[in-house]
Amino acid sequence: MGQALQGDGLTTKINVGPIHPSTHGVLRLVVELDGDEIVNVEPHIGFLHRGVEKLMETRNYMQDLPYVEKLDYVAPEAYSEAYISAVESALGVEVKERAQYLRVVLLELQRIASHLLWLGTFLNDLGHFFTVFMWAFADRDKILRLLQEHAGARMFYVNMRLGGLNRDVPPGFEEEVLSVLGDIEKRIPMYESYLEKNEIFMERTKGIGAISSHRAIELGVTGPVLRASGVNFDIRSSKSYYVYDKLNFKPQVVSSGDVFARYKVRMLEMKESIRLVREAIRHMPPGDAVGMPIRLIIPAPKNKEVRVYRETPRGELLIYMVAGQQGPYRVSFRSPSFINLAALPEIAKGAHYADLFAILGSLDLVIPDVDR
Amino acid sequence: MLIGESWLVSLLNSPSPYSEALGLFAYAVFVGLLVIVVDYFLGWLERKIVAKAQLRHGPTMVGKFGLLQNLADFTKLLAKASYLPKRADRLLFTLALPFMLALAIFLILLLPLVPSFGFGNFASSLVLVFALFSFTPLFIFIAGASSGNKFAEIGSQRSVLMLLSYELPMIFVIASLGILAKSLNLFAIVQAQSKMWYIFFLPIGFFVFFVSMLAELERSPFDLREADSELIAGWLTDVSAPSYTLALFLDYTKTFFGSLLMAMLFFGGWLGPVLPGLAWLLVKALIIAFFIMLVRATAVRMRIDRVLRLGWYVLLPLAVVNLIIAFIV
Repeated sequence: MGQALQGDGLTTKINVGPIHPSTHGVLRLVVELDGDEIVNVEPHIGFLHRGVEKLMETRNYMQDLPYVEKLDYVAPEAYSEAYISAVESALGVEVKERAQYLRVVLLELQRIASHLLWLGTFLNDLGHFFTVFMWAFADRDKILRLLQEHAGARMFYVNMRLGGLNRDVPPGFEEEVLSVLGDIEKRIPMYESYLEKNEIFMERTKGIGAISSHRAIELGVTGPVLRASGVNFDIRSSKSYYVYDKLNFKPQVVSSGDVFARYKVRMLEMKESIRLVREAIRHMPPGDAVGMPIRLIIPAPKNKEVRVYRETPRGELLIYMVAGQQGPYRVSFRSPSFINLAALPEIAKGAHYADLFAILGSLDLVIPDVDR
Repeated sequence: MLIGESWLVSLLNSPSPYSEALGLFAYAVFVGLLVIVVDYFLGWLERKIVAKAQLRHGPTMVGKFGLLQNLADFTKLLAKASYLPKRADRLLFTLALPFMLALAIFLILLLPLVPSFGFGNFASSLVLVFALFSFTPLFIFIAGASSGNKFAEIGSQRSVLMLLSYELPMIFVIASLGILAKSLNLFAIVQAQSKMWYIFFLPIGFFVFFVSMLAELERSPFDLREADSELIAGWLTDVSAPSYTLALFLDYTKTFFGSLLMAMLFFGGWLGPVLPGLAWLLVKALIIAFFIMLVRATAVRMRIDRVLRLGWYVLLPLAVVNLIIAFIV
């Protein structure tokens, strides 16, 4: 270690992670510093590699579902939904209409929960001692309770089934969702005024780690990071799935491209998600939402290739799957965290050391999703 | 309140040459005990205040209102293994923390806690207090640099850098107090406030002093030297658990010192009706400490270059304005 971490005399190399309070898991960054200025950042990944893609080849379609959820423990619903729709399109299963609405409700609730978690951890990265973190977690908990009411679990739901969900929502679920959304809708402006009236917060986020829209496209960053650079691209509108086009979904775009813009995009997205859930509940048709039983697997057409694009809370997720008889022949994930992490060295170059963590936090990485 | 002042005074006034030394010694022991008790209480108070701000309860299980929780934690930390990093300079690394703690307690000893008696009753004792207080960042630098850890090194470098930003405004505020009280004796400054507290004359000065004090005490938002989300624990990264208790102790002793000093310089120290002087002083100091802790619960950490800018572009001009106000008053 000692040899590898020597700078060239003028610079210092320091080893941030894999055990570090702000790398959110086991990311290792080798940072080369010239004084307080970052010369180079080198991400080292793979500390959490579990071989999920290979493992999935050895199981059948439904057994794979829990593995997919563990890729992104902050938004498992988004991942299991993406995977199940890959299986659905491989096997040619139609999703029931009520289930489509319900999935949108669950996905958007999950997005709000994920963004709230991001808000808390991001503020911790900025050196705000856990206050917003606890507030955001209290709000997130309300959503987790809703998801628990449907799935029976707080974190890993495994409630997606081919063609629908494992069960319909319990009676009174819609009213509860609406009341929780009302609570959170009141809280979001509170967060915004608390943070945006804080001069130190603005100083630490405005103009830090900016990416131009041109460069953002070249780097291939996705999700809120891309939209914060002023690129109007959201899979929910450009490759609309389920009923997003019926709900008049509008992508939230901010143009400045800095850390503050990424914060702002996520705040706007939470508001948009609240609106989407309300619309979805209003238009939700009655009927059956229950999918196929877990044991029933239709044999898939041999070597059928499927690509499924989904807008997870972290950005665009691509699942490429070659269908096999009982389970996938090959699955590959193009995960948003991995793509966004790849942009870190360029964004962080020239920034102050303290800003590295503001930038890293603003990318909203989930390390299991990077390493898979 | 806690101490029979008259007993001390009579001991001091008695002709025996030993009694003066004995009185000073008794006073020092009393201050030491006071520091331990107040530090312990401040530790509990901070946990409770921050918890309330964060929708939590804080410690509740050990003792009434969790009052004994810190004792339990303290015992646990002492029971842990002590570790000396291979690259560390053994002597400096082990001595820096105890020395800083001793310095902080000595500083409290110099302050006028009671009207009749104290070590700091000589001309320009305020200058001495500040001269000694400015050593703290130096010791932080020594502790960080001697540990041989890069995070600690960055933390200690920041400590010295920050010294440049807040020291000068602070000295300007002290000068304004000296002008008002026509003395730099701490006792005289407190006594001079018997008609009106200086906070009413120098509100700007108090603001500058409070902010600089937060920086000096490395409290949030100026906790750049520890900066847990950036530097793991800054200059304390390689300090193992038993010595870390000293660091915690030091932290609260410094907070206590800072609040005492602010209570004395701006809120009339021991002056107040009915209650004994020390009680007034402690009440004022605890209220100030409460606000220092509230800042911790709500602030975002500043960046080092911004701290310097704040010091030179905001605090220093304000301190000069404050000095002019002091001249006019």
